[in-house]
Amino acid sequence: MPATSAPLTPGLASFLKSLKTNPIDTSIDNLISLLKRRQIRHSRSCATATAYLLLRVISFCRTTDANKLIERVQSVGRRLMAAQPREMVVGNIVRRVLGLIRDEAEDDRDAEFALSDAGSESQPQTPRVLEDPSTPQDRDFLSVRHEGSERSSSRPPLTSHSTNPAPISMFSLLSGPEAESSLPGSPVPGSPSGRVTGHGSVRDIRAEVLDGIGEIIDELGQVDDQIAAYALDHIHSNEVILTHTSSTTVQKFLLKAAAKRKFTVIHAESYPNNHDATHATVSGTVSDEDDNLSFESFQKPLIALGITVILIPDSAVFALMSRVNKVILGTHSVLANGGLVAAAGTRVIARAAKVHQTPVVVVSGVYKLSPVYPFDFDSLIEYGDASNVIGYEDGDLVDQIDVQNPLYDYVPAELIDLYITNLGGHAPSYLYRIVSDHYRKEDISF
Amino acid sequence: MATAKDASAGSANKPFDIVATYNNLLRSDPDLTMPIAAIEALVLLLTHSPSSTISETLDLLEKSTADLKKAIPNPIGLSAGTDLFQRYLITTLQRPGQLGPAGDFNAIRAHLLSNGRLFIRRAKESRDKIATFGRGFVRDGSTVLTNGGSRVVASLLQHAAGEKGGPSAVRFRVIYVLSSAKGNLENHHAEPEGMETVRALRAAGVPVATIPESAVAYSLGKADVVIVGAEGVVENGGIVSRLGTYQIGLLAKAMGKPFYVVAESHKFVRLYPLGQYDLPIEQHVIDFKTDEDLTDEAHPSDCTDKAVLGEAVDFTPPHLISALITDSGVLTPSAVSEELIKIWF
Repeated sequence: MPATSAPLTPGLASFLKSLKTNPIDTSIDNLISLLKRRQIRHSRSCATATAYLLLRVISFCRTTDANKLIERVQSVGRRLMAAQPREMVVGNIVRRVLGLIRDEAEDDRDAEFALSDAGSESQPQTPRVLEDPSTPQDRDFLSVRHEGSERSSSRPPLTSHSTNPAPISMFSLLSGPEAESSLPGSPVPGSPSGRVTGHGSVRDIRAEVLDGIGEIIDELGQVDDQIAAYALDHIHSNEVILTHTSSTTVQKFLLKAAAKRKFTVIHAESYPNNHDATHATVSGTVSDEDDNLSFESFQKPLIALGITVILIPDSAVFALMSRVNKVILGTHSVLANGGLVAAAGTRVIARAAKVHQTPVVVVSGVYKLSPVYPFDFDSLIEYGDASNVIGYEDGDLVDQIDVQNPLYDYVPAELIDLYITNLGGHAPSYLYRIVSDHYRKEDISF
Repeated sequence: MATAKDASAGSANKPFDIVATYNNLLRSDPDLTMPIAAIEALVLLLTHSPSSTISETLDLLEKSTADLKKAIPNPIGLSAGTDLFQRYLITTLQRPGQLGPAGDFNAIRAHLLSNGRLFIRRAKESRDKIATFGRGFVRDGSTVLTNGGSRVVASLLQHAAGEKGGPSAVRFRVIYVLSSAKGNLENHHAEPEGMETVRALRAAGVPVATIPESAVAYSLGKADVVIVGAEGVVENGGIVSRLGTYQIGLLAKAMGKPFYVVAESHKFVRLYPLGQYDLPIEQHVIDFKTDEDLTDEAHPSDCTDKAVLGEAVDFTPPHLISALITDSGVLTPSAVSEELIKIWF
């Protein structure tokens, strides 16, 4: 019950605390209502909450059958996504967990074919060997890479075992009839029976899935530092950088570069939804909302490192753009076509940068990358509290005019020059590749 | 080598005519696309050939493919099919397993021969698949501009209209660009391609406006999205499509309208055209003439020229394309090269 953690305002911290004690269904309902009430917002908080919840869901799911596990996660995932469809990270995390389960189930089947449990047992542990808090970014970087490469390399043998080779989607037209109907392809004589009986009974895939979720959670915690590791490649001495909103990812990125180089930061204040937080970030008086977890408890402001920070109103962006060398933006979520949904005002900045041919760099964790194709841009944009624009003190005015406060902007791919994720820098047109590395096709619309 | 020579000599003697087979296949089934017809023709060729070794078969395939490409004025679409078939054979043969080099070559032949129908069915199914992927692109209250006689676009739009009593029919309107190249001529009764789709959509209750190509710029302001089909999708993600698609793409870009291409993934061609005049086909779209030339030639040539114009294609470069809706998902143009690389290397 959230009531047990009375001193906390409902949010991520209280949710994580209650997760340990509450029964699983209560926790699900709890998160759904938190998402609905927008008491958990920010991509990372939503992602963390989802990951922890799924961790519980899976560890309490008393089944060894991968399909049942997938069904369970799907049903929970659907409810979470329906609760707040615009927080796309929720769907992303659910899809990644589904992908994990599918991978493990397939590895399992593979192992049965190879008739060697030892090989499959050692394989998922390879990334864990490197687990060492002293080199967090390398570890996670490796493990994510490893995951991707492993997946792509593990697929072809798998399909070639079960049926005619069909690893390539373009061949799907010509390949053997349907999966098992052409059995001549399966080489090991005893394997068909092994597949039928041995499925899941050999070992519990949940342990590995739970490990995998643990890695996702680790990734969520380290993503900013990993991205910041690329800072020195992109920020050079005496450059003028323009940024927007109080994104911690951007701040860490700038701070990392500030440790070595001197540059100037122009910070647009992003009135009316984020200006308080932005002011606090600039002046270093961060009294962080409980939403942002303790891992970034205190952060030195850029000015403490001798960086010149110029705070400007959003309306001055275009005027100053001609002097800016680079625009660095945070984002809410990134879409499969290379476009992104970010705090309102981002599109204006990106557009202004385009006019002045200023490079636009977006820093974002891979967890924000959604496989969803934006069919309808308008539906992605959330509208927030109108009283941020005009307070209710101005009662007369509120009666007479219609006040709107969109929280997000859709920025099309052609306005972005580069994405920096925890995997490195990517052109917007390359994002489809990262999507296909991280999400299984069958999970994209579940 | 000797066997290969024999095979080609043998096939020359054979009554089997790959070109005629291909044309027959295309005529017999209006739903058949060029690449699939080419694959079908090659499968039939294998049925008729007694070859039993791998190199013999590959040689035969290569030769017949070349013949076929030579005989067809615009082989871009069909080359997608023949290439895919050839690569499929080679990769299957290289793969370990019973169908590989160690196994019986006849097994793979038998598989191909027995599943000929299946390929066609799958090719048609992939259209339905695309239609389900593509439904999201047609929104309630939107207006779609389209052109040509693409069967995939037709199936997508009909799917969206929910003619099969689907649960949620989208209410949308269609602006259909009808090619005037054929309609203007003396064979006025031959209706422009796409009329069939127009009728089907109207029957399904979708309001359709038909416009000539000259009215595209004028009408585009009323359209929310452009959806076109393609004859072939080339390596850089551009498309080869019915003449007039390029200008629609340019106009859509200029007006900031999303331009989507609907194509099955078996239409991906290994081709990298650098521009309009770099396509490996000969077409007389631009034909300079003086009065003298005109008097020299009688009108019969005029007739053939126009007929060619109806079949002419152009190349729409990738930067004009917002996304490709294929049976393997919604791809950005740059993803096409990767799919192609996967089958070739």
